[in-house]
Amino acid sequence: MVPATRPFFLSGLNRTAERLSRWAVYFGGALTIASVLVICFDVIVRKFGFSVGGSDELSSYAFAISTSWSLAFATIQRANVRVDVLYQYLPVRVSAVLDWLSIVALGAFMVVLTFYAYDVVATSWAQNSTANSLLATPLYIPQGLWLLGLVWMCLVLTLMLLRASVALVTGRIDEVKAIAGVRSTQEEAAEEAAAGERLVRGQAV
Amino acid sequence: MIATALVVLLVLVGLSIPVGAALGVLGLILDPLYSMLPLTRAIGELAWSTNNEFLLVAVPLFILLGEVLLRAGFAERMYSAMSLWLSWLPGGLMHANIGASTLFSATSGSSVATAATVGTVAIPQIKRYGYNEPLFLGSLAAGGTLGILIPPSINLVIYGVLTNSSVPKLYLAGIIPGFLLAALFMLVIIISCIVKPSWSGHKIHATWGERFHSLIHLAPPLGIFFLVVGSIYAGLATPTEAAALGVLGALILAAWFRRLTFSMLREAIEGTMKATAMIMLIVIAAAFLNFIMSATGLTDAITSSITGLGLSPGWMLLIIIIFYLVLGCFMETLSMMITTIPIVAPIMLALGYDPIWLGIIIIILVEAALITPPVGLNLFVVQSLRTSGSMGAVIIGALPFVASMFVLLALLAFFPGLALWLPTLFG
Repeated sequence: MVPATRPFFLSGLNRTAERLSRWAVYFGGALTIASVLVICFDVIVRKFGFSVGGSDELSSYAFAISTSWSLAFATIQRANVRVDVLYQYLPVRVSAVLDWLSIVALGAFMVVLTFYAYDVVATSWAQNSTANSLLATPLYIPQGLWLLGLVWMCLVLTLMLLRASVALVTGRIDEVKAIAGVRSTQEEAAEEAAAGERLVRGQAV
Repeated sequence: MIATALVVLLVLVGLSIPVGAALGVLGLILDPLYSMLPLTRAIGELAWSTNNEFLLVAVPLFILLGEVLLRAGFAERMYSAMSLWLSWLPGGLMHANIGASTLFSATSGSSVATAATVGTVAIPQIKRYGYNEPLFLGSLAAGGTLGILIPPSINLVIYGVLTNSSVPKLYLAGIIPGFLLAALFMLVIIISCIVKPSWSGHKIHATWGERFHSLIHLAPPLGIFFLVVGSIYAGLATPTEAAALGVLGALILAAWFRRLTFSMLREAIEGTMKATAMIMLIVIAAAFLNFIMSATGLTDAITSSITGLGLSPGWMLLIIIIFYLVLGCFMETLSMMITTIPIVAPIMLALGYDPIWLGIIIIILVEAALITPPVGLNLFVVQSLRTSGSMGAVIIGALPFVASMFVLLALLAFFPGLALWLPTLFG
């Protein structure tokens, strides 16, 4: 009975992962909009001779954190750029193996990246490093938050790999495609076009 | 060493491994093969400093600017204003396509979004006024590509970061070629419609009163353009700060048109963060790979073996052009730029080419890639806006516009001043 329940268990986890990743994106977006406001304030105030400063530093941290927090969502949504010159001509089964392989490759790179990113944070923590700026930000704070996004990305990739492996082994090719398939140029363009149409139609109402 | 790297890269990319992962994994493989020291350890520090680069903050901000503007609700009115001003020319509304794309490009850094927005408004007019369908569709796909040449442009920010060249200068350099390309597109339409008068559709009549009345609808995009580009050259803001000002302006505009809602903002943010995360994954992986390549001497080996061929600058330029045209058939444009520029730029600079000028040349080649099959994203966008008809019509219709891109490349090769005059004037 165990093999039958495992995918259910995985798909429940998957829904949670997707929801959390989406919230991470909103958080990243909120940071980005906050950066906009801080930068604009800085520019406008500078015009009148005051100098607050620090907006470049803070928004750079916000940028790093918001991108690493958004990685997981982008990957779940299959937004990764992949070259499909050969892929599109391959039999479905072979291309499903490539989908699986692409999770493995992305995972390998992300794990190495996250491992050494941890080193960076640990060093900043141990040496009490601060930014070479007026704010003298303790670097472990932005770096730690940034690392958190990378760790989350690794966890999500692990989950994707598990699901894709189970699906591949049990021969459910469609499911592999749904988890990690290449979004074809047509698919992508159709979505862009639909978005454009929706926007303009919305405007006519 | 070069051969190994190239083969591994081609295999990884050919297996449709995500581009970011392919570059990263290649770096991980090259390090133990060719280096005495464990270079991979530097990846944490490299990733942090790349992801923490203030100039790159402009990337999400410009994407967000475009996403908000798309939803701010002035595309249709802007298009009809353009049609009142431009449709007396032979080719009628096709000029409005180019005009609206040009203006939209001046507020957005994305080519695909430009084609999707202008296309949605324009395509229903084909049947209504009896235009030649392929040429009309081609003008939409081609007009959209202007998005990355006319500032603000995300691709130029990336080029600036990769080659350490000034983004304000790149923006200035893009202005004349951008408008020149728009003019060449219009020339293509005029010539086609003079040769084949049946292509140009029924005339649309407009009075001067209507025209001047419509100018108000051009104000929102022009306002954003002057806010963003103006604040850079007035010395008020850096490109990133200008992008932030633009986002604030766009939010205010959207509120003015009563479009600023929570769900609109959520959609804009999702699109922005998704695109940014993917771009940055590739940028970080490329930064790591570049570090490995230069530390192991691979970059030098490639550069010297290519310069060792003893090609003249002119031939080298020709080879680079062909290289990008071929590569553009297989790769998405931004990842193509991030992957190739760290190799291509040093070679071209060693031959005496100007980095700013080279940036504009590469952007035009990328534009050509957007409207040439099989992976021309703009072609697909325009195609999916149609309700019927084959892809072939869009491809054929775009060809004359590809030709005008080559005319522009030739003009830039013989008169580099077209790109470099404005930067030297203000620099």
